[in-house]
Amino acid sequence: MVDENKLKILTEAAKYDVSCSSSGSRRKNEGGLGNAYSGGICHSFTPDGRCISLLKILMSNECLYECEYCPNRRSANTPRAKLTPDEICELTISFYKRNYIEGLFLSSAVCDSPNRTMELLVETVTKLRRDYNFHGYIHLKGIPHADEEIVMKAAKIVDRMSYNIELPSEKSLKLLAPQKTKQSLIEPMKSLKNAIEYERSEKSSRRILPAGQTTQMIIGASPESDGQILKLTQALYRNMNLKRVYYSSYIPVVKSEKLPSVGAGLLREHRLYQADWLIRFYGFDVEEICDESENLSPDYDPKCAWALRNMQLFPVEINKAPLAVLLRVPGIGAKSAYKICEARKYSELSFDDLSRMRVVLKRARHFITCKGKFYGSDNAIQIKRALLLEGINEKAEQLSMFSDRATAISALTGEI
Amino acid sequence: MKIFITDGSCDGFFTAVFDAYRLPDAAITSDNRIQLSFDCEVERVNADGAKSERVKRGLSKYDRSAVADILLVLRSGNGDKEQIAFEYVKTIFDKKTCVKKAFNIPSVEIFRETRDKVTLEAHRMKGFLRFTECADGMLYAPYSPDNDITDMLMPHFAARLKNQIFVIHDVKRKTAGIYNRQRWIIGRVGEAKIYISEQEKTFSELWKKYYDSVNIGERPHEKQMRGYMPARYWKFLPEKKDG
Ligand code: SF4
Repeated sequence: MVDENKLKILTEAAKYDVSCSSSGSRRKNEGGLGNAYSGGICHSFTPDGRCISLLKILMSNECLYECEYCPNRRSANTPRAKLTPDEICELTISFYKRNYIEGLFLSSAVCDSPNRTMELLVETVTKLRRDYNFHGYIHLKGIPHADEEIVMKAAKIVDRMSYNIELPSEKSLKLLAPQKTKQSLIEPMKSLKNAIEYERSEKSSRRILPAGQTTQMIIGASPESDGQILKLTQALYRNMNLKRVYYSSYIPVVKSEKLPSVGAGLLREHRLYQADWLIRFYGFDVEEICDESENLSPDYDPKCAWALRNMQLFPVEINKAPLAVLLRVPGIGAKSAYKICEARKYSELSFDDLSRMRVVLKRARHFITCKGKFYGSDNAIQIKRALLLEGINEKAEQLSMFSDRATAISALTGEI
Repeated sequence: MKIFITDGSCDGFFTAVFDAYRLPDAAITSDNRIQLSFDCEVERVNADGAKSERVKRGLSKYDRSAVADILLVLRSGNGDKEQIAFEYVKTIFDKKTCVKKAFNIPSVEIFRETRDKVTLEAHRMKGFLRFTECADGMLYAPYSPDNDITDMLMPHFAARLKNQIFVIHDVKRKTAGIYNRQRWIIGRVGEAKIYISEQEKTFSELWKKYYDSVNIGERPHEKQMRGYMPARYWKFLPEKKDG
């Protein structure tokens, strides 16, 4: 049986990894316990507002590496613990049976050589699948510098893998995580991507990483601008085919001269997620959202900020504008845009129709016409002020910071 | 005004629709405790398979998913569910077309909202349901959902917990879904006597420990937690029950 204190240490050591999503896989139950639900399922929420979907733990927090920002780095004076493969399997199974969790997110510090650590991780998940007959969701963290062969073995067993790129530039990586080179993070990502693509092209039924790859970087521990971060994000989506890029705003848990003494605001992280959303679902290109040297505006969400810079494109007629244009209207989210497109097939929509459909019009009314009629303000300053007020409310609210797509949609936040 | 009171069954509802929808001023409910005003006429509806079939067939001519959507709305915990479904039926017969996405018509929007609440809760419960292990190994999950969704959850858990025996017990409606490793059924259950396994406490304690440890204390955001996981569900969650 797992010792309570060990569980505490290894959970606290893993909790700053943002990802907890369980979506993207349809793994079937082959006569044992568990399957995967492609939309993902949240099993609980913690007082920090985050969803618990997976049992997210480290196998071990004994580390050979010396990442400046990490409470588990070699030189840190912190309690250490390690779980055996069987302990991890037992815990996963007994939590899963009770419907506490959707599966396992297993990671580890580099407790032995990178290869030995990765091998132990693979041994654990292999055991879980084979001996414990478990077919639920597994997300496995990749260990940098581990041999490709072992990494590929892991990819055939689990649903998702992630190599965290940690910091938004190579320079910062060198400074703050000296043992992790850019190559040791990017190369495995690339091999995994190629393996996934090759297998899809072969149409084989055995699936490598059905839920793909994700990554995470720390925001605010190093000087990169939002523009740089978003450019990197877009490149990762396009070149590595990642499912998600997570941001984790820096929290000063470690004192160091190389690190800022204050944490990055949650608002910054929130704005980055909004921009990420625009890139992934709203058809925006990063160049439209933010210049490389710039930061996102704290006052407006990135779609509002874009619209204010492009007032000549507005207002658009709600009954005619194509979906892609509706998605660019401030205040109209994906769900509203969809409802509008469907409803206008039946009859032309008036302003009142929109409010009956519960489309939120506070911001949108300045950017649309309904049957040719305009209900907003012509005065640019007034518009700005109206949007700004909204922004202030939002700052107080700070919704949807950690949400993955499924949770965000189900709660209708995250739509901008 | 004429009020049709049904037995709460789906056939009862469609029978009532058959009798009511030509009347200028009719309402349908399954709520026996309804407050009646003086000028109301009341009719108790006896479910009639043939009438019910005819209404369903009529609806399917215009919208093949209408009947399934109505069956979802009839699971709602909203006391006006029959009336909401009735207004929707009338809109379809009125317009003689599928109105599913005509969200600017109030009866359609209210219908959609009611239906979505049912499916949202069914989705949430896939996550929030908690099983307790009994001494004989059976898994037992009591809960008290707003809507009647137990049979919507059964296929999900039967696929997932294929090699287990489990019971999902709706304590409010006194019904339960029972799975025996081969098939599942829904039955009526009064009180359930449960003998908890020896390990149970250990694991629920470990789970609470996990829940407390994974939280980032520096970033409180209770409001968001409550938004995603409404407090009315907490009494069945070991991590929220006492504390
Ligand atoms: S490799 Fe770096 S980030 Fe990972 S546990 Fe070790 S010190 Fe921490």
